[in-house]
Amino acid sequence: MKKRELLRTLVGAVCLSVLVLGAAAPPPALLELKQPRGLDFVLQNSPTPQKYLIETMPGGIALLDYNNDGLLDIFLVNGGRLIDPMRMPESFDRLDPRYWNRLYRQNKDGSFTDVTVQAGLANAGDGNYGMGVAVGDYDNDGYPDIYVTNYGKNILYHNNGDGTFTDVTAKAGVAGGGWSVSAGFFDYDNDGKLDLFVTRYMDWDTKRSKNCGQEWHTYCPPETFPAATNILYHNNGDGTFTDVSQRSGIAAKKGRALGVAFADYDDDGFTDIFVSNDGMQQFLFHNNGNGTFTERGMEAGAALSEDGRRLSGMGTVFQDYDNDGRPDIIVTELPREIYGVYHNEGGGVFTYRSLEAGLGVLTSGSSGWGVGLEDFDNDGWKDLFVAQSHVLDNVEQIDPSLHYKELPLLALNHEGRFERADPGTSVPTASRGAAFGDLNNDGWEDVVVTVLGGPPQVLMNRGGNRHWLVISLRGTRSNRDGFGARVRVNGQTRYATAAGSYLSSSDKRLHFGLAAADKAQVEIVWPSGMHQSLRDVRADQFLEVREPEKP
Amino acid sequence: MIHLLLLLWLSGQAPSSEALAHLQAGVQADKQHDVDVAIVEFRKASELDPKSTDAFVSLGQAYLEKRDYGSAVGPLKHALELAPDLLPAHRLLGYALLAQGYAAEAVPHLERAQETGALGIAEVETGQLKEAVTHLQAALEQQPNDPDLLYYLGRASGLLSKQSIDTLLAAYPDSARAHQAMAEGYFVLRQMPQAEREYLAALKLRPDTPELHLGLGNVYAKSSQWEKAEAEFRAQSKLRPGDAEAAYSLGSALLQQGKARAASAELQRADRLRPEMPETLYSLGKAASLEGDAAAAEKAWRKLLSIEKDSALAAQTHFALAGLYRKQGKSAEAERETQEFQRLQNSNPQSQQ
Repeated sequence: MKKRELLRTLVGAVCLSVLVLGAAAPPPALLELKQPRGLDFVLQNSPTPQKYLIETMPGGIALLDYNNDGLLDIFLVNGGRLIDPMRMPESFDRLDPRYWNRLYRQNKDGSFTDVTVQAGLANAGDGNYGMGVAVGDYDNDGYPDIYVTNYGKNILYHNNGDGTFTDVTAKAGVAGGGWSVSAGFFDYDNDGKLDLFVTRYMDWDTKRSKNCGQEWHTYCPPETFPAATNILYHNNGDGTFTDVSQRSGIAAKKGRALGVAFADYDDDGFTDIFVSNDGMQQFLFHNNGNGTFTERGMEAGAALSEDGRRLSGMGTVFQDYDNDGRPDIIVTELPREIYGVYHNEGGGVFTYRSLEAGLGVLTSGSSGWGVGLEDFDNDGWKDLFVAQSHVLDNVEQIDPSLHYKELPLLALNHEGRFERADPGTSVPTASRGAAFGDLNNDGWEDVVVTVLGGPPQVLMNRGGNRHWLVISLRGTRSNRDGFGARVRVNGQTRYATAAGSYLSSSDKRLHFGLAAADKAQVEIVWPSGMHQSLRDVRADQFLEVREPEKP
Repeated sequence: MIHLLLLLWLSGQAPSSEALAHLQAGVQADKQHDVDVAIVEFRKASELDPKSTDAFVSLGQAYLEKRDYGSAVGPLKHALELAPDLLPAHRLLGYALLAQGYAAEAVPHLERAQETGALGIAEVETGQLKEAVTHLQAALEQQPNDPDLLYYLGRASGLLSKQSIDTLLAAYPDSARAHQAMAEGYFVLRQMPQAEREYLAALKLRPDTPELHLGLGNVYAKSSQWEKAEAEFRAQSKLRPGDAEAAYSLGSALLQQGKARAASAELQRADRLRPEMPETLYSLGKAASLEGDAAAAEKAWRKLLSIEKDSALAAQTHFALAGLYRKQGKSAEAERETQEFQRLQNSNPQSQQ
């Protein structure tokens, strides 16, 4: 064979190998749909021809380690039974076990055991239709407590530390009322005790419900019903809370809130509040540092879309997606509205960057609910996950280009621009809540999504070779959970919180992907103002960091 | 009107004094909006002077004012028997017949009276759609923005369009144009998969048909499939480089994908092809802002505001400018633009949708 022929053969072989490699199956999806043994919950939303709005709104999920055994457990909020039509006084059959909220304890083998009864969580209140959940250690006893929001009265369950909970709502004074949705614990006055923020959707009840639409009956748009105020409870430190909604200025603004997330956006040392509102401007409550808040959404550029349009704000997350050290805001919405990305420019100003972030392509045909910014591939950039489904269960009849059941969105972050990735499931569902955490403690973030009329979807991370670090904060002068701390690891920043998403509460541990780095530089600014630095921290470990008691 | 007719008639005829007295009484009653009395008086005048065309025309007119169209027809027809060329009688009879649904009978009278608006409406009813469009357009030149005329012109055009499409579908059901027509129908019904299927079938038959790419691109854009939309709009632009709509659509599809520089180039091309289109200027500003070129964004938006001052797009533009100034740290300017945005929003609730 001549030299030229040899060369041709060689080139041909190389080309063939390229072709073969190019035709190879794509790498497996990062996330994988699993059905953990024992997790037998079904979210009963009970849709009726009456199209009661509450039917399409539940339900919440919390990932928490209620018994401090190091494994994340799952708490799921159920809806209730609705009849056609509802009678007064409203009852949702919550005494029937099908409609209970459920607590599942994770076992060492990754299976779950339903511990609802022994935990004392079976009674969710017969007049309550369940919505969401918030988790926080409000009494700093080292055990996470659970707050359940309802259409009806909310319930605070104190964790007794022995595997049981006690309903302390009456004593604590946090029942609220009306239609509560997302809630979250945070420490707005940096007194070391977790306060509680509760969003309320609208002034609505089944008696005043309407059936909207023309040819097809549908759930009514939010503006059909009057707006409602949100609630801020101040933690008195003695097991009681004081409703400071009026005094703080929170109740000065009526909205149609669905989501809430916390972060200190202007770096003044006080945690601010972002509230996603449905069909109106979004609220950014700036913490004035004196127990009051000022709503600054419009002037900060975080109230409307880039074109000045109102958003159908549903879920929200308040974390730094582009690693510039400042918390940004993402809001999930209805189709034809791109999910909102409000980039924090510093100086208390946000710019709308949905198109730059790539969400124009990814989200304009979808409806988003639960949302999280988590580094699923541990490359050092927080990725975007959204639980998706249209709000109308008959939307295909009204607009065949839209879909009630959708796949979740997983979008990997490439230096601030998101690109679609395989979400790990090919089964479209009517998803609502989403909580994030490392269920199997492998250093790779997992997701659990709630589904209307069905079991939750557990999406386990397949993992990989990159390094990671998971930090648990142990506040001493600050609240014990360390909520509100700003933690910086190798150029990434996370604000410590379990809140955000929609109706849900995530793993309070802070997860960081370290890519190829096997060591991490950790900087923590605690809510107390204490700064703490840890140098050359070994990667691939779960690290508890205790706040120094003295400066 | 009755008074005018009376004067016209009086100049050419000499009625009996009694008939004239009733005629004048009718006119007075009509002036005072007492139509019933006017009808009684005009009827007496017509009985006393059965050859008085004026009495019959006035009586017909009074019935029309009372919206008693059926009763108006007799006197008006009688007036035309007496004076076949009397244009006011033709005009009124045409209206009376049309109001009762006798469009075909109304047409010759309205033609004689050169009452183009009513004639066009009658022709819509009788299915003379081409003529209807011509006459309604002529009437609209005399009475621009008349809602009834606009409605009927729209209806006539729509029916004419449907007629053509029905013929197309019946005669050439497998043609590219038939598939295109089907696709457009599905698009209106928001049945995007079906619209896509029909557009693709049309393109398979006649791949060089430029409107097909634009239509298919719009289907993809409506379904938020921006990469596919971009490809179709690009194909349209290649086939018709002078098509401003294609350039604008391509720019918008690129913008949705965050491809600011490419979007900017296409939008500038659209602006050159059809200058000063507000939508193009708005998107141009967005693309420039996305690129980080604040000066170009401001220039495009300011130009837009020099064209449109009070529209929903103007409100949007003020809001976009507020964002631009906020990012630049120009708080006072940002505040001013926000206020302008809010002012326009309050005065134009549609802009809030």
